[in-house]
Amino acid sequence: MITKYRAILRMKYVEMFSYQLSTMVWMFGTMIQPLITMMVWMNIYPDQGDSFILYFISLIMVERLTSAWDVWEMDRQIREGTFSYQIVRPFHPIHWAIAENIVYKGLFLVILVPSWIILSIFIPSLQLHLSFSQWGLFIAALLLGAIIRFAFSFMFGILGFWMTKVTAVYATFETVSLFISGRIAPFSLLPPLVKKISTFLPYRYMIGFPLEILTETADRQTLLVGFIGSSIWTVLLIVAIVWLWKAGLKKNQAVGG
Amino acid sequence: MRRYWRIFKEFFRTCLVEELEYRSEFIGNLFSSLFGIIVSILMVQIFFYQTDQLGGWAFPDVLILLGIFNTLQGLVDFALRPNMPRLLLHIRMGTLDYVLTKPVDSMFFVSLRHLVFWRLIDVLLGIGLIIYGLVQKHFIPSLLDVGFFLISIIAALLIIYSLWMLLMTTAFWVIRMDDLSFLFSSFFETTRFPITMYKGWLRLALTYVLPAAFLTFTPASSLIGKWNGGTTVASLVVAVVFFWLARRFWKFALANYTSASS
Repeated sequence: MITKYRAILRMKYVEMFSYQLSTMVWMFGTMIQPLITMMVWMNIYPDQGDSFILYFISLIMVERLTSAWDVWEMDRQIREGTFSYQIVRPFHPIHWAIAENIVYKGLFLVILVPSWIILSIFIPSLQLHLSFSQWGLFIAALLLGAIIRFAFSFMFGILGFWMTKVTAVYATFETVSLFISGRIAPFSLLPPLVKKISTFLPYRYMIGFPLEILTETADRQTLLVGFIGSSIWTVLLIVAIVWLWKAGLKKNQAVGG
Repeated sequence: MRRYWRIFKEFFRTCLVEELEYRSEFIGNLFSSLFGIIVSILMVQIFFYQTDQLGGWAFPDVLILLGIFNTLQGLVDFALRPNMPRLLLHIRMGTLDYVLTKPVDSMFFVSLRHLVFWRLIDVLLGIGLIIYGLVQKHFIPSLLDVGFFLISIIAALLIIYSLWMLLMTTAFWVIRMDDLSFLFSSFFETTRFPITMYKGWLRLALTYVLPAAFLTFTPASSLIGKWNGGTTVASLVVAVVFFWLARRFWKFALANYTSASS
C-alpha cells in the first residue's frame, strides 16, 4: 500500500510540474475574491483593519489547503468515457485523487507558508501567537475540513454516473457555501440565523471552523460543537461515498466503449 | 462598417438556430442565472446588514452598480467567452488558416463568431436590477444623465472587448484557455463594488493601469446624476488606447504565427 502510494505520489508530482503556469494562475486568481471582501469589511469598520487582514489572509490559506476540484475532473472523464480506464485499474480511483490532492496541497504549503512569514514581517497583525495545543487543534480541524471538502466533491463526482449536470449542481452548493462557510464574513458579523444554520451544514467545517481556531475566536463550546460536527460529517460522507460508489458502478455504462 | 453589422447578424442567426436545438436546457439556465443574481444581491445585503454605505454609496446605488456589473458580465458570457476555447482549437489544429483566408477581419471573426444566447438572461436581469435600484432610490435620471451613461457604457464595452482580446491573443503562446478566462473573471470581480471603496495606490492602479473604474463605476455614477465630464472623456480616451493596443497585439501575434497543420 505504501509503496503503491509512493509511486502514484511521484507520478502526480511530475504531472503537476507540466501544468505550472495554470496552477499559479488558479492559486493567485482565487485570492482576489477574499481580498475584495476584505476591502469591503475594512471600509465598513476602518478601525478593525488588523483583525480583518488576519482573518482574510488566513481564509486564503485555509481555502487553498482545503480546496477540492475532483468533481470537475470526474464529470469530464465520466462524460467522455475515459473514467472506465480508472475503474479497471486495480487500485481504487479515490487513491489517485487523494495523491493528487496531497501533492498540490504540498505545493500550496511550500508557497503560502513562506509568503505568510515574509508578509508578517511587514504586517504585524499577521504574527500568530498560538499555543502548542491551539496549533494541534487547528491542524486537526484543517485536516477534517480538507477531508470533508474533498469527500463532498468526490461524492458529487460519483453522482456523475446518474446525472449529466453535476458540476452545475456542485457550483450551486459552492456558491451557497460562500455565505455559511465564513468566506464572505467572519461568523460574528453574520445574522444570527445564518450562524445557527451553519452549525448543521458541512460548509462551516470546511473553512470557517479551522479559521476560527487560527484567529483565536473560537471558545470552548464552539470547539466542542465544531469537532463533533466535523467528525459526524466526515463519517457520513465516507459512508455515502462507499455506498454510492458500489451503486454507481452497477449503473455505469461507459460511453464510447 | 455596415458589412460587418450584416455579418454579425448572420452569426447571430446561425447561433440562434443552433441554440434552439437545445431548448430543454432553457429552464435550467434561467434558474442558474436567477440564482446568480440573487446571490449577488444577498452578498451586498450581508454587507449592508452592518453598515449603511459602501465607499460613500448607499444600498440602492450599489444595486444599480451591481445591475451594470451583471449586464456587462452577461454580455461577456454571451459574445466573448464562447469564442475563447475555439481560438485555441483553431491554433492547435491549424484551422486558423481558414479564418485568415476569409475576406473578413480575422480579429472580428475569432472574437464574435460564436454566441451563447441564454446568457442574455443575465443581461435582462441586470437591466431589471438597474431599474429596481432606481425605483428604490426614487430617482428618475435626466436626459443628460442617460446621455453620459450611454457614452460611458460604450467606453466600458470597448475596454472590456480590448482587455479580453489582449488576453485571448496570448493564446498563441500560452496553452491553457480556461486559465485565461478565469484570469479575466478574477479581474472583473473588482468592479462589483464602488471603486471608491479601494484606497490609495490600489485605486490608482484599478483606474489607470487596469481600467476597472471605467467599467461599472463611471456608468453607474453617470446614471445616478453624479457624472463628470472629465471622467467620461477620460473613459473614452482609455477605451481608444486599449482598443489600439489590442489591435496592435493581435497583428503582432498574427505576424509571428506559423500554421500548425503542415
